[in-house]
Amino acid sequence: MPTNITISIADFSIRLISDAAVSLEEGYLPFVISRDIDDTDITIECFQGIPSVPFPLTDLVFEATNETRKFYSIYRTANGLGFVMYNQQTTDEIQQIAMLDNTFSNWTVYLNPEDDGSLLPLKYPFGPIVMYYLTVKAQAVLIHASCIFDGEKGRIFTGFSGNGKSTMSKLWADEGNLVINDDRLFIRKMDAGYFVYNTPMYYIDKPKKTTLDGIHLISHSQENKIKKLSGAMAVSKVMAFCIQNNYDKEYIHNHLNFLSELCTKVPVYELGFVPDTNIVDFIKSNES
Amino acid sequence: MDLQTLYKLKTKFVAREVGNEMILVPLTGNVAQMSELFTLNETARFIWQNTNENTTLADIENLMTAEFDIDPETAKQDIEKFMKLLESML
Repeated sequence: MPTNITISIADFSIRLISDAAVSLEEGYLPFVISRDIDDTDITIECFQGIPSVPFPLTDLVFEATNETRKFYSIYRTANGLGFVMYNQQTTDEIQQIAMLDNTFSNWTVYLNPEDDGSLLPLKYPFGPIVMYYLTVKAQAVLIHASCIFDGEKGRIFTGFSGNGKSTMSKLWADEGNLVINDDRLFIRKMDAGYFVYNTPMYYIDKPKKTTLDGIHLISHSQENKIKKLSGAMAVSKVMAFCIQNNYDKEYIHNHLNFLSELCTKVPVYELGFVPDTNIVDFIKSNES
Repeated sequence: MDLQTLYKLKTKFVAREVGNEMILVPLTGNVAQMSELFTLNETARFIWQNTNENTTLADIENLMTAEFDIDPETAKQDIEKFMKLLESML
């Protein structure tokens, strides 16, 4: 059964097309849009079956690995980029092969069907890879952070793992504020300013969006304390928590330019906090 | 220590001026999330800006001694320290 599905993530429209049936993990379902869009930002053409790798494996430019796992490898090809993604259970079995053209607009992905016969093209890690390459072609970054909207302002809280991003979300939620997301967010520059968006997760959550009015670099502390950062310090500290494939100078330049401008328009703070709800009023009273 | 090594190191970074400061981002092919970036102090920035393919160690040392009123040995140590810092970022 041919498939034509459009999803909208962070106001980017993504069309998935295939001659086969395509399904999406449940986290993507609230992002599916039913209206027709003439001009999509990217198209992902999905094919059933994994062929032998259709590009030379000689120009490896990036490997996403950790101590125990290989997630994916990226190769430079004649027409753009080639991706080999691995099954996270078996680690060395290829799960998807994908190609992205030089315009960063057209993906081709090959994969085997699921037990129900449908293709699940955005299965991790391909979904997040697609999102990352949207930031390469647009005025945007992806950041590991939580984001709260208090009815007036949208604030991002970012920091190293264990520094309290989820704790901070819960504290604001306990005070009746809206959690945009507490893991991975898009920041985009639009005509009306900077906006933050949630991204599809492994659980169901509706698409959310807020203005970006402050960025807090958080850590646990004996007392609540806040310090405004500026210039290179602000840019470098925010950039450290953005999701990056830093093998290409142009990508880095784009992100540095984006963040340099962002940090002149949106205040950046270093925030030490005690994990109780007093931090909500402390932040509102002490932002400058 | 030679300046060719420093120049080669330099090509593995992207630099961006922000106001009066400079940020360096390493070109890396094996991490998905960077945990460190760094901003350059005045001396490091001076070395960075004055290193090109044809620069010699003596050129930089001379420029540094004139600019910062330091002796050649101190200049040499600063260059060495900066190169080690760059290497540690890759």
